[in-house]
Amino acid sequence: MADQSAHPAKDPLARIAAPAITSADATPVRQRRAGAAARILSGPLPWLLPALGVLGLFYLYPIFEAVRLAFTDARLFDTETQLSMRSISSMVGSSTLGVILRNTLTYTVASVVGQIALGLAIALLVMRAERARLRGTLALRTIVLAAWVIPAIANGIIWQLLFSEAPFGAINSALRLMGVAPVAWLSDPSNAMTSAVIATIWQGTAYSMILLYAALKTIDPALYEAAAIDNARPWERFWFITLPHLRAALVVNAILILIMTLNMFDTILALTGGGPGRATEILSLYAYGTVFQNFELGRGAALSMLLLVISLGLTVVLIALLPRDRR
Amino acid sequence: MVRSRAERVADWAVYAAMLVLALAFLLPVLWLASLSVRTQAEVFLGAARFIPEAPTLDNFVRVLRDGGFQSYIWNTVKLASLGAAGAVALAAPAAYALSRMAFRGKGPLMLGILSVQMVSGLVVLIPLYRFMDRLGLLESHFGTTLLYIAAGIPVTIWLLKVSFDAVPRSLDDAAAIDGLSRVESFVLITLPLALPGLISAFILNLILNWSQFLIPFIMLSADDKWPISVAIFRFAGSTSAATTQLLAAACLLAILPALAIFVILQRYILAALTAGAVKE
Repeated sequence: MADQSAHPAKDPLARIAAPAITSADATPVRQRRAGAAARILSGPLPWLLPALGVLGLFYLYPIFEAVRLAFTDARLFDTETQLSMRSISSMVGSSTLGVILRNTLTYTVASVVGQIALGLAIALLVMRAERARLRGTLALRTIVLAAWVIPAIANGIIWQLLFSEAPFGAINSALRLMGVAPVAWLSDPSNAMTSAVIATIWQGTAYSMILLYAALKTIDPALYEAAAIDNARPWERFWFITLPHLRAALVVNAILILIMTLNMFDTILALTGGGPGRATEILSLYAYGTVFQNFELGRGAALSMLLLVISLGLTVVLIALLPRDRR
Repeated sequence: MVRSRAERVADWAVYAAMLVLALAFLLPVLWLASLSVRTQAEVFLGAARFIPEAPTLDNFVRVLRDGGFQSYIWNTVKLASLGAAGAVALAAPAAYALSRMAFRGKGPLMLGILSVQMVSGLVVLIPLYRFMDRLGLLESHFGTTLLYIAAGIPVTIWLLKVSFDAVPRSLDDAAAIDGLSRVESFVLITLPLALPGLISAFILNLILNWSQFLIPFIMLSADDKWPISVAIFRFAGSTSAATTQLLAAACLLAILPALAIFVILQRYILAALTAGAVKE
């Protein structure tokens, strides 16, 4: 910028000159009061208080309350509660919990691995296309990202329309046109989980793609030029240059989408509602149903604490995988 | 530079892969669009009528004329924008303190704010349900907005801290020499210079709030208070094969505003998504 007056800092700086002059003729009383206010405002507390107050009220307090409720036999519309281990013992003792945890594990691992793998593949493809100056990379990135913007609840509805087993369902009617037998995408318990994972990956991949693309951009091209001089094969460049440099980004990415997937609720609710039977019922849906359909508040609170403990535990495990300087 | 034959072959393979991926990500939305302009008769013809022979806007007219639908959209706009504005307003001073002031416990505090994001909405909503009921905030947009704000604050603090960090400290020092208080220097210098960051944070909140389902789903049971996300879920549960085209039209109308904001303001959203997560 050649013209100094175009600098964005100029305007606010010009405005601040005025109070500096007028403060000289302020009365001593006002000055003292302003001084006290300034002293308080120079500390961090008043700046942090509004945000921390809201977080305390709507996050910290509920977590303590959930822990307390887990040790009661509370029901949703019953104010009388007694301290009791019944909620926790019935949760641990129920045979359903095993099914739910296995579903949660399958769904989470498959979705997270799928999103990272596909996101990395697209990011590498876009990098390769940009290096060759091919057209359409921006269009591809925009299309993939658009899926991420679609509300998860709408995502579930869209995929229900696609997987629909009615004669006019998108995928099945297309298969029939090609002479292939239709598939029971949602009504067959062994297919339903795969369908839920596909819908989740379709929507979530964009996030991994963008994070990994940004990380790929930071790798020094000179490393690849040196590798080319050494006649390194493409997979050697990927294994010895790309992957080690992506380690931090991959772990951060894994943590973020692991949490999102573990807590996923909307897509599965709209797609399968957890069914057929309990085939796609993961922990979040189970906790919701326990509280808001069976009104077992104590047991639901215990289940939600289990979800929180699993999230935090897995995060700690993943942080340990970060390179030392990034921890 | 002359490209070798092998490279040209590879380029075509890259093109082919890009095309397949673009189709895989486009087709679900195109299918929704296709269903939404079909007559009921053509819905039953499935993939054979991907491009309908008798396209109609009738489904959109019917959905848009519905008084309920208009109120769902209005409720969504209200909740999403008030929630986003509230989150930015409360997060900005906190982010400023974390960016500019040194104090004891700052590191753990920042880690604590980050870890709030690990907490599922469900974990807090289960105990909050009775709490909000007792405060008389259940079934109200006010109480729902408060929860939207709370959900947006952690990520907004992080985004804004990153953009405040990018504003040179020397400007603060110059302001202090000119006799400006902290508040004045925050409002008159840091905020205007960090405007792109503020906009990114607001838009990201707006899009996340537009998608927000769990909070209104649990907080609001009255039809006239629902945002569009809850409404289309309830509608999907009550429709039959005969009204698939209406569901598709409603669903498309629900996602279009979010898609439009995204396409127009892509630059800001990408900045918000990658800020903090990827360092040099």
